[in-house]
Amino acid sequence: MAEKDAEVGFKKETVSKLLSEFFKEDKTRLSGDATLLMTELLKIFVQEAAVRSLKQAESEDCDQVDVEHFEKILPQLLLDF
Amino acid sequence: MSDDRDEARQRLKAAVHYAVGRMCQRIGEEHRRELSRQVVAAIAETTFRQCDIFAKDLEAFARHAKRSTVSSDDVKLIARRSTALSVYIHNKSEELNQEQRNLKKKNTGKRKSRDTEESRE
Repeated sequence: MAEKDAEVGFKKETVSKLLSEFFKEDKTRLSGDATLLMTELLKIFVQEAAVRSLKQAESEDCDQVDVEHFEKILPQLLLDF
Repeated sequence: MSDDRDEARQRLKAAVHYAVGRMCQRIGEEHRRELSRQVVAAIAETTFRQCDIFAKDLEAFARHAKRSTVSSDDVKLIARRSTALSVYIHNKSEELNQEQRNLKKKNTGKRKSRDTEESRE
């Protein structure tokens, strides 16, 4: 079980429900492969958000990562995605 | 009836928040710095809202290709803005295809060996 926490991310069922929640048409579906890829993409999104905020805090010599650090990196994050 | 809808949405938000929390904890540990609860909540909220944009884009791409099922090609388009991201997603997609091909080969292999065993009897 210790091997299990090598990769922490989203569950594909969550991703599938999450994206389906926002589809405009009822008939729109998500293929299995698309779900797996989106799970990866979302994991990267969260990792980027966290690591960039962290680097921002480090560059300001702050011990804790706060919302102000996240706010500073948010514009570029959204542009990159 | 819209209460069910809200409830479902709240549950999704909670699921996202939980997953984001675990990822932030892992990343914080790796860098020996703590991400405040407000940051985790902010990242979770941003991720949730970003999914709305992703979903609408994916749907539009699929519809443009005259499909009602979102495919991995649509996801590759979503990742087009950053070269590194695009390369990563393309590679992941290749990995998935390779895994599926390996799985198919394994299954046909099993079937073949079973056939030869039966013919021997």
